[in-house]
Amino acid sequence: MAPPENPSPAAPAEPSQPPPPAAAAAKGKGKKKDEKKDDDLSEEDLALKEQLELYVVRAQDADPGVQKLALESMRQEIRSATSSMTSVPKPLKFLRPHFGTLKSYFETMPESELKKYMADILSVLALTMSIEGERESLKYRLLGSEGDIGSWGHEYVRNLAGEIAQEFQKRQDDDLPIDALMELVQQIVSFHMKHNAEPEAVDLLMEVEDLDLLVEHVDATNYKRACLYLTSSSNFLPAPDDSLALDIAYTIYMKFGDLASALRTSLKLEKSPQYVKQVYTATDDLLLKKQFSYLIARHGLVMEIDDEIAADDNDKEVLQEIVNNTKLSEGYLTLARDIEVMEPKSPEDIYKVHLIDGRGASSSLDSARQNLAATFVNAFVNAGFGQDKLMTAPSDSSSSGSSGNWLFKNKEHGKASAAASLGMILLWDTDSGLAQLDKYLHSNDTHVVAGALLGIGIVTCGVKSDCDPAFAILMEYIGKDDSNIRIGAILGLGIAYAGSQKEELKMHLSAVLGDSQSPLEVLVFSAIALGLVFVGSCNEEIAQSIIFALMERSEAELAEPIIRLLPVALGLLYLGKQDSVEATAEVSKTFDEKIGKYCDVTLMSLAYAGTGNVLKVQKLLGICSQHLEKGETHQGPAVLGIALIAMAEELGAEMAVRSLERLLQYGEQNIRRAVPLALGILCISNPKVNVMDTLSRLSHDADADVSMAAIISLGLIGAGTNNARIAGMLRNLSSYYYKEAAHLFCVRIAQGLVHLGKGLLTLSPYHSDRFLLSPMALGGLVTVLHACLDMKSTILGKYHYILYIIVLAMQPRMLLTVDEDLKPLSVPVRVGQAVDVVGQAGRPKTITGFQTHSTPVLLAAGERAELATEKYIPLTPVLEGFVILKKNPEYHEE
Amino acid sequence: MGQGTPGGMGKQGGAGDRKPGDGGDKKDKKFEPPAAPSRVGRKQRKQKGAEAAARLPNVAPLSKCRLRLLKLERVKDYLLMEEEFVAAQERLRPQEDKAEEDRSKVDDLRGTPMSVGSLEEIIDESHAIVSSSVGPEYYVGILSFVDKDQLEPGCSILMHNKVLSVVGILQDEVDPMVSVMKVEKAPLESYADIGGLDAQIQEIKEAVELPLTHPELYEDIGIRPPKGVILYGEPGTGKTLLAKAVANSTSATFLRVVGSELIQKYLGDGPKLVRELFRVADELSPSIVFIDEIDAVGTKRYDAHSGGEREIQRTMLELLNQLDGFDSRGDVKVILATNRIESLDPALLRPGRIDRKIEFPLPDIKTRRRIFQIHTAKMTLADDVNLEEFVMTKDEFSGADIKAICTEAGLLALRERRMKVTHADFKKAKEKVMYKKKEGVPDGLYM
Repeated sequence: MAPPENPSPAAPAEPSQPPPPAAAAAKGKGKKKDEKKDDDLSEEDLALKEQLELYVVRAQDADPGVQKLALESMRQEIRSATSSMTSVPKPLKFLRPHFGTLKSYFETMPESELKKYMADILSVLALTMSIEGERESLKYRLLGSEGDIGSWGHEYVRNLAGEIAQEFQKRQDDDLPIDALMELVQQIVSFHMKHNAEPEAVDLLMEVEDLDLLVEHVDATNYKRACLYLTSSSNFLPAPDDSLALDIAYTIYMKFGDLASALRTSLKLEKSPQYVKQVYTATDDLLLKKQFSYLIARHGLVMEIDDEIAADDNDKEVLQEIVNNTKLSEGYLTLARDIEVMEPKSPEDIYKVHLIDGRGASSSLDSARQNLAATFVNAFVNAGFGQDKLMTAPSDSSSSGSSGNWLFKNKEHGKASAAASLGMILLWDTDSGLAQLDKYLHSNDTHVVAGALLGIGIVTCGVKSDCDPAFAILMEYIGKDDSNIRIGAILGLGIAYAGSQKEELKMHLSAVLGDSQSPLEVLVFSAIALGLVFVGSCNEEIAQSIIFALMERSEAELAEPIIRLLPVALGLLYLGKQDSVEATAEVSKTFDEKIGKYCDVTLMSLAYAGTGNVLKVQKLLGICSQHLEKGETHQGPAVLGIALIAMAEELGAEMAVRSLERLLQYGEQNIRRAVPLALGILCISNPKVNVMDTLSRLSHDADADVSMAAIISLGLIGAGTNNARIAGMLRNLSSYYYKEAAHLFCVRIAQGLVHLGKGLLTLSPYHSDRFLLSPMALGGLVTVLHACLDMKSTILGKYHYILYIIVLAMQPRMLLTVDEDLKPLSVPVRVGQAVDVVGQAGRPKTITGFQTHSTPVLLAAGERAELATEKYIPLTPVLEGFVILKKNPEYHEE
Repeated sequence: MGQGTPGGMGKQGGAGDRKPGDGGDKKDKKFEPPAAPSRVGRKQRKQKGAEAAARLPNVAPLSKCRLRLLKLERVKDYLLMEEEFVAAQERLRPQEDKAEEDRSKVDDLRGTPMSVGSLEEIIDESHAIVSSSVGPEYYVGILSFVDKDQLEPGCSILMHNKVLSVVGILQDEVDPMVSVMKVEKAPLESYADIGGLDAQIQEIKEAVELPLTHPELYEDIGIRPPKGVILYGEPGTGKTLLAKAVANSTSATFLRVVGSELIQKYLGDGPKLVRELFRVADELSPSIVFIDEIDAVGTKRYDAHSGGEREIQRTMLELLNQLDGFDSRGDVKVILATNRIESLDPALLRPGRIDRKIEFPLPDIKTRRRIFQIHTAKMTLADDVNLEEFVMTKDEFSGADIKAICTEAGLLALRERRMKVTHADFKKAKEKVMYKKKEGVPDGLYM
């Protein structure tokens, strides 16, 4: 360390009130004496200490010149001090004893430039000196010269930021002005943003409740990190702050022209119409607009492409086609061909009986139910492929008669499901779907007609068309006398137009609801259909009509098990809409006691689904901890509600799994029955080993309902993954339960789910890096789960076609890259486990343990993809679903 | 709420949950006995920590920011809710009596005294082959209340004294050899007792303490913290002392081993001990493993002829693997100490295993003064003692030598029943110590 130059060549002026140690030091002698006192100091330190003490004395000099020099050198000394991260810098340490002296001298100083200088130094000293809560550092900073804040080092800035947060709180309480503070905040934020400390800048702005400032300070290099931090914080912030954070992120994305990210944020914000349109109008690039449309189609948002978005009619048509999902089937089949799974699979290929040792091969019991199970398995496994071995294949070889064969191997309502399964097989392929289903519409058998109607709904699920063939066909049958046909048509409409909020449907279906003559089951299904069509719309009219329907029905009818879907339908209207449900929830309290509680809990759980609201989870847990004596059933939905709310983010989901373990341990039967289903929705299409183990344990439970729910849930967590472990478990279960028809049916369904779309589909309502929640998908899942709460009277009874509602959540889990003409384009991509990189320094890897494939590829839960070539640039940061690639102009072939 | 409480609850939960499941397996079916749950009897992966399920999820950004706070708060909220729920349940349904009854029933079934045996093989759901300590093996039944998930071939079990059926499992405990290595009582030496060595203290703090206490600092800057350090230097320069000070100041688990302890009588025991040591360290993480005199096992490899030497080399190879092998050690830091760094195997010292090499030089004048001050602080010195004379001397002292001089001087004074130590004592003591050190070569002979 260079010995600091003596600031004043003239003899040091005698201090007026010299503090004793300074006096001793000033003489520069008596080394030995000093040594006794500070015996652990090295010589250099000692010299430094003396020097600093001298400055302290001089800083109190009468002569401003001397003062200035002293302060200047003191400042120099502090700034140049390099310290380790473990200890206090030496100059600060040595100045500690003089903090008080300097402070009191500062008070006596006249207003001047020097005083400000002094304030700066005091502010730095306060960093180590000031007592917790005094905020002296801030106080002197405000009095100081307002120079460059970064020159005092990072630690100082950090400390100031902390003190500002406290001071801000205090001033808010006391209604004091905060302008001076805000100026400082500006400085600090710009410092942080320049020094790679975006999280700290964001934190400070959140503390002072002025996130808007962030927009000015971000630049092209750091906006991504800042926004990533904002968006991932939004999951954990309390109610108004979360959307504020997203809003700011949206503004920043828009500012820097990262429109794809802006669109994702706006979809998350759910203020869709105007924001989405803004994103569209912000660019003239048609390709980009096409990419946006793909995202919107995946999200399931119904949107009309108007002139503002695309002026040209051709462009408009192309965009609308993408939004309408018209090409989904084509893309899906491209994927299937690439992975070479086009070959249709029969249920036997899934059961793999030969792998089960010993018995199980021949169990002829209840063959109708077996056939029904096979129908479902066949439908799930071959979903979307357009061909199978039961429903379509024979018709290719011979006349249409043989395809009827399978159909008529089913009994009564089984035939409905069989006919509807054709819709599932031809999923998303409206043209051939409608053509093939048409022949069943003319059948004499009402069940077949009902099934065909439902099938039409399934085929058009998520795929919209201008001429609305589904609507045209189904509306004809809605007023028929036979309730089976009516249900088929109504449910078909519900599935086909889920989320579309189609006004015509409201009119027609509300009429069914309002008609006191309509049978209970028709009523329930029209309510569900309305709930699905108007999911998350908070539509008061429909809510009213469902409530009336609930009130009008007699007590006997209210005791019907199917009635439990009415509150679900009501809840679907408010799915994820939080407090908007309050008014309806109040009304629901006036219901008959039994259904009232059920309704209340269901409404709450659905309204807060996917929000991660801890308070509601607490409330639901509270409901679960009650001890019921009157045989009420509202605890089941409460358990499901916990899962629905907690699924918002992974941390909460993991913690919820723990909570569910507790429920399992203490809960009574009606709670335990719902726990497997809750686990199923928490980890849907995401077979986590610990959950799998729990479910496998529960699948042998003594209580039949628990074990059946666990079996179905095994299917849910493995849905579309082809997970060999779950498949093995289910095979064992099939031989374990081979004499119990109900269990076996569940096992078969679960097997079908595991091989959903031969492993190309997912049921997860979350997409786009687990950032966006598709309300339709969630709505479909919730309906099925609620039906599963009482399996005996729904799925195992005659309403098994409820299972088809799950089609709403079915989406290919693919990454399909297309070129600028939207033709599939094969490029190498790396696929690996996603890593959470929020708030990490540098440019961390976003995936780990990756493998390189060429597109199209499958993405499993928690996986992420990135391009492995520089040749193309993706138009969206998140590589999922359809991704348009643009040629990289800077790429040179080597 | 600390991590301890939920952990405890988790364990309870696990045991409690399992019972109904097992009951289900035993369900009274008319047809064939149910298929065994697939997991029974298989060798299980060793789960990390007390129980994997009881572990809380990792919270992603390590740096101190609001997001981390919010996430931690969320975890806390869930834990509080769990606590609330469990408390409510316990209040509603006091299970004491029932549990007591069940327990006594189980105890009856178990019978007393029980004997200890080991499980050889699991035959099916409820039968196994066991061997008792006496010798012969038996085919016996497994009682239904035994947690079959934990049964695995080779584990110790409790057996009924007459029919020898399996009535319980003895949890396999940590190797007692390793458990004695754990430092239970913190040593008294602290950083303040070290004269000089400022740079070394700082380095060891940065490499060992800070990664455990402030991992976010490293994440902020985007590097991986060092895994371990080696302390080397002349004898008596304070290597072990510094390690003691680290143990004194940290709240992390401190495991200390001497290199020679790792050499065992039987083939394969040494490497096993090393494995065990690091497993325990991992379980009790964050932890610091201190291996003193590493040259006992860590010497350069050469063509060894005796089995003993080969075994020592194998022990080192295991150590190499544990330091930077396939499995990553999270919060385990390693401190090695040796006098002879030049004889160590280069593989042991490569970065990634040992990232920092900290040299302990002989004390310079300043440090010497400081050491003298530390050692004479509690002694009554006569006025004529001038320590500067010894401080300034040209002889090479290590810290230990200085301590020896002070002790020797004290002993000399004691011999003459004086209450004060004089300068002469020190002089004599110094000569004596230096004489001993130079192994009989009188001071000044070759000067």
